[in-house]
Amino acid sequence: MIRRFKMEGFYTALNIEFLKARKSKMFWITIIFFVFISVMMGFLLLVAKHPEIAKNSEIISTKASFIGKTDWPSYFGLLIQFGMALAFVGAGIVTVWVFGREYSDRTIKDILAVPVSRFSIVTAKFLIAFVWSFLLLVIMFFVSVLSGFLVNLEGWSAKLFTHSFVLFTKTSLLTLILLTPVAFITCMSRGYLLPFGFIILTMIVTQFVIIGLKFISPYFPWAIPALITSVAGPSNPQANVLSWIILWATALLGFAGTAAWWRYADQH
Amino acid sequence: MEAVIRTESISKHYGKLKAVDNVSINVQKGEIYGFLGLNGAGKTTTIRMLLGLIRATAGASYLNGKKVNPGNPLMWENVGYLVEVPYSYPDLTIKENLEIIRRLRFLSDEKSVDRIIEKMQLGQYTDVIAKNLSLGNAQRLGLAKALIHNPDILILDEPANGLDPAGIVEIRELLKDLAVNKGVTIFISSHILGEISKFATRIGIIHEGMLLKESSADELENIRKKCLLVKTNNISEAKEIIEKNGYSANLPENGILEVTGKDALSEPEKISLLLVQSGFAPSLLKVEEEDLETFFLRVINDQEV
Repeated sequence: MIRRFKMEGFYTALNIEFLKARKSKMFWITIIFFVFISVMMGFLLLVAKHPEIAKNSEIISTKASFIGKTDWPSYFGLLIQFGMALAFVGAGIVTVWVFGREYSDRTIKDILAVPVSRFSIVTAKFLIAFVWSFLLLVIMFFVSVLSGFLVNLEGWSAKLFTHSFVLFTKTSLLTLILLTPVAFITCMSRGYLLPFGFIILTMIVTQFVIIGLKFISPYFPWAIPALITSVAGPSNPQANVLSWIILWATALLGFAGTAAWWRYADQH
Repeated sequence: MEAVIRTESISKHYGKLKAVDNVSINVQKGEIYGFLGLNGAGKTTTIRMLLGLIRATAGASYLNGKKVNPGNPLMWENVGYLVEVPYSYPDLTIKENLEIIRRLRFLSDEKSVDRIIEKMQLGQYTDVIAKNLSLGNAQRLGLAKALIHNPDILILDEPANGLDPAGIVEIRELLKDLAVNKGVTIFISSHILGEISKFATRIGIIHEGMLLKESSADELENIRKKCLLVKTNNISEAKEIIEKNGYSANLPENGILEVTGKDALSEPEKISLLLVQSGFAPSLLKVEEEDLETFFLRVINDQEV
């Protein structure tokens, strides 16, 4: 009986979270935002390839110059790096919204004293945030690839595409699992401000660690995905066993902390 | 008989602030328990503890004999509730909001959403998104969420908020019907005694976190102050005559004599006769019961004194 409720409870919670996400404006706003970024990548590629297009706009020219070489290998490299940053910021926003809306809409009390366990609801929320974020990143990858085709980049090969997509997926997934502490901070602060601050600060510190404090990078959770996938570059140390332990421990602690917060903390 | 809703010396302290202090309540099956208190008295905090939304600093709560435990979702199967102002997902329609609750309650009958919409008279707003609802209709939606699964226990925090007078009467009748005909146990908080006393079978008054008084509706009727109001053309003389005949009389500034004691309330015609025979025929003779709100404030003030 209890087991039936547990399974049904999780399925129900997942179903409800999916309905809430699908019906929200946020879902479509994030898709549009990620498509827009991918189209802008294509535009910057075009400018990088034909600098005369933006000769009057220094801002655009400067941004386009970051792209460097305009061929598929360089473009895929950029996409993977970009994907990692966006996985944390974009997916961070999704995570904050999935958990934070219950507090900002003040609907949390409606889902706490029901036959579905709080653990099921938290797990369903994580799963929805994870799948939603991954979907956004995949959309970004494919729209960016389409942009690359439209700009007519050189050096395409199916092998390069497959390799890049696998690397992109691996980096994205490893970054996404590190969003669990963001959910915990959202629930603890019952709002959006603190977790957004955490996301920005973590992103800055991660860049700082990867560039300036390389010896720490195997032990700083949010720098580890870049080391595992070698996206951080050859000058950075390799991820070791401890790095993997730290990565998973951070993800699990974030998850357990969120579940415990829902279960034990006073919910006002 | 075991109480359906029970709190056992329940307390909630925030540092030095005693939001709820040592409150013990027993509500039997089919009772409507009116939980009365001013704003900030501890009503909502007690309700939150009953629902496992916050943890008690001391004591425990029980629903249907089971200790309230946030880790046991099965205990909420037959409990419906509404806490403070009801909020719903703003971008979802009434129907979608109720659909979420239907699923969370494991109700297989999809028609249950339509039925509760009809019952709460929300039919014309079915497809209106929650953020566009009036306060009254948002309240109705909150009540619909509490009632959709025909619970055995209803815990309602100020359910009349935002409802118009007709809506208040409608909800009152609905709750009375649920308690009397379906045996639903109802715990309802309010800061308006006049409203609660119209249908509660028992009333508890909470003030500054403490349960000051508990009485049945009948007892409440008896403990409210009553007096005979008398007005004549010479009120001072009339007072003397009345007092000489063994009654107690009080003359406040409004010039209307308040007579109590002996059989003043049961046989006011005796006082009328007495005054007529003394040449002070009364122009007003009326038995007056203490106003419910005055009673409520008197209980609170007595406690503070």
